[in-house]
Amino acid sequence: MCSSIDGCYRACVEPNENLAFDALSDRVRRRILAVLGEQGELSVGDIAQRIDAVGRTTVSSHLRVLRTSGLVRERRDGRNRFYSLDADGAVRDAFVFLQSILRQGVEAVENPGATSGEDPPGSARQAAG
Amino acid sequence: MSDTVTIAAERTVRLAPHEVFALFGTAQGAGWLFDAQCDEVRPGAVVSLRLPLDGLGGHAVDVLGTLARVVPGAVIDIEHTQPWRGRLSLRFTPSGARETRLQVRAHVPGEGMEWLLHRRGIPLPEPPDDGAVRLGAITNASGSGAVYSMSAELMAELAVDEVNADGGIRGSAAHLVTADDATDADQAALEAERMARLGCRAIFVNSTSASFEAVRRAVTGWDVLVVHTVLNEGGGLSPTAVRFGERPDAQLDALVAPAMATAGGRRWFLVGQSYVWSYGAHAAARRAITRAGGEVAGEALHPLGTGEFAATIERIERSGADLILSSLVGADEVAFERQSHAAGLRATTRTVALALEEATIAHIGPRAGEGLQTALGYFQDSPVAGNGELLRRYRTAYGVWAPAVTALSEIVYESIHQYARIVHLDPDGSAAAHGRALRRQRPVTAPDAIGSRDLLRPQLYVAQADGSSLRILSEVGRPR
Repeated sequence: MCSSIDGCYRACVEPNENLAFDALSDRVRRRILAVLGEQGELSVGDIAQRIDAVGRTTVSSHLRVLRTSGLVRERRDGRNRFYSLDADGAVRDAFVFLQSILRQGVEAVENPGATSGEDPPGSARQAAG
Repeated sequence: MSDTVTIAAERTVRLAPHEVFALFGTAQGAGWLFDAQCDEVRPGAVVSLRLPLDGLGGHAVDVLGTLARVVPGAVIDIEHTQPWRGRLSLRFTPSGARETRLQVRAHVPGEGMEWLLHRRGIPLPEPPDDGAVRLGAITNASGSGAVYSMSAELMAELAVDEVNADGGIRGSAAHLVTADDATDADQAALEAERMARLGCRAIFVNSTSASFEAVRRAVTGWDVLVVHTVLNEGGGLSPTAVRFGERPDAQLDALVAPAMATAGGRRWFLVGQSYVWSYGAHAAARRAITRAGGEVAGEALHPLGTGEFAATIERIERSGADLILSSLVGADEVAFERQSHAAGLRATTRTVALALEEATIAHIGPRAGEGLQTALGYFQDSPVAGNGELLRRYRTAYGVWAPAVTALSEIVYESIHQYARIVHLDPDGSAAAHGRALRRQRPVTAPDAIGSRDLLRPQLYVAQADGSSLRILSEVGRPR
């Protein structure tokens, strides 16, 4: 997986990269990625609660696609399954990257006076619209 | 925008909302939100911001757009087309005594995520053949040329949509494959190879001469027609390569002598880029200046991507030049003109620029741009038949805040329409046959009209910057 920008884009090719693009093309899957990016690790039920108008079964099927694409990691704990973004996933990379540069930009806002200090962790957030 | 991702960040600042708002785009707010730069905070004003992608080994990338909504002290919405089409929303909310909660939301469509993934090294998907007639368009969504290329992809898309609305090409849909070459010839070659693999029968290169040449070489042997769709220095022709657009010798014939008469001077300083475009343009300039009885007092050539011109401006001052010819392009031209104005060069010199269209002049700004002259084949207020209807269709498709249609984007639109007509008549023809048809002379008696302009030798108009727009002064050979 690429972990840094290559100025000429000549980087790596991985077998699941087209799958990653397919995964990215669906609105619900984008929303799931956004929720996981914001919340870290969640169960299927927790994810379904955070996405309006989509049931648990639908979320499960989207999670299967995301897992197959290498974008989401699954962890089993007894009968429960928990999901988080794959740290090596391409799309997650892009999400995190965009989020980080946006946060840096806002935190660098020129302030002639004192600022209220750093925002608490998680105050920069992702959401799908 | 159901597939749009929104990413948000916020911060509380110990200033009142109107004070934070006032920092946007001003010198006092230098560094404020990605070095936001705009001369006026009003709807319709252009704005540029710089994304620090360089921290990860690439280059900083400019977000170029327009202020779409402004509520003083409360709201700034930016619609941008570069490097992807998206929206940035800023909200300034009172938070306690003299504090402001600043919220910034970036709305990134699927194409934006694809751009970012591609930038990070991931190849774009290559969809299987669906029977459509595929056409490639390489534009500058990033890099120095992003300024002049702002509406190029939109105009290419508009042309293809119109072709399809008219029934396609021999009953098949036309499909546009787009790519950003980052104003980099090596990247242009890679994108062209992908387009050839995808079966594109023609590639329209709305980029530098260096990119055109790289694309031409990259698709050798693929039976792909390469059409250069920005003003250029000429040369580089082959049976499968066509170069449309203005040529510097015609531009300079229109500009040099009148500029000398107006300035009352004869000493020129030439400023350009260190690649084939400026080499050709400056050779033509030396000929035109000599013919007009002038002389060249100096020359400075800069690599694409130059943003600092202090040393060159000092050289111009020392040279005693009365006139400046700029063949700089895109962001380099914007930086040079803004710095020239700030240094007071306008008091002693007059400037003509070859690659100065509405998008570039808007980013130069009304103060630094005032009085700059150029000569191009198309301006938004061109009197050519059908222009009003074209602009209405464009605004209907892309909205009131879409970037200006310019000489460098209108020609993409016309090229695609002309090419589609040729393929419709000769669907099995080779790239060379289609190239010959594109180069074929139109009847000299036919009046110019959108869709049938002479793109090889376009009728030129001399225009002068007036505020943030370009006002046509005359048609070359036909004073208005």
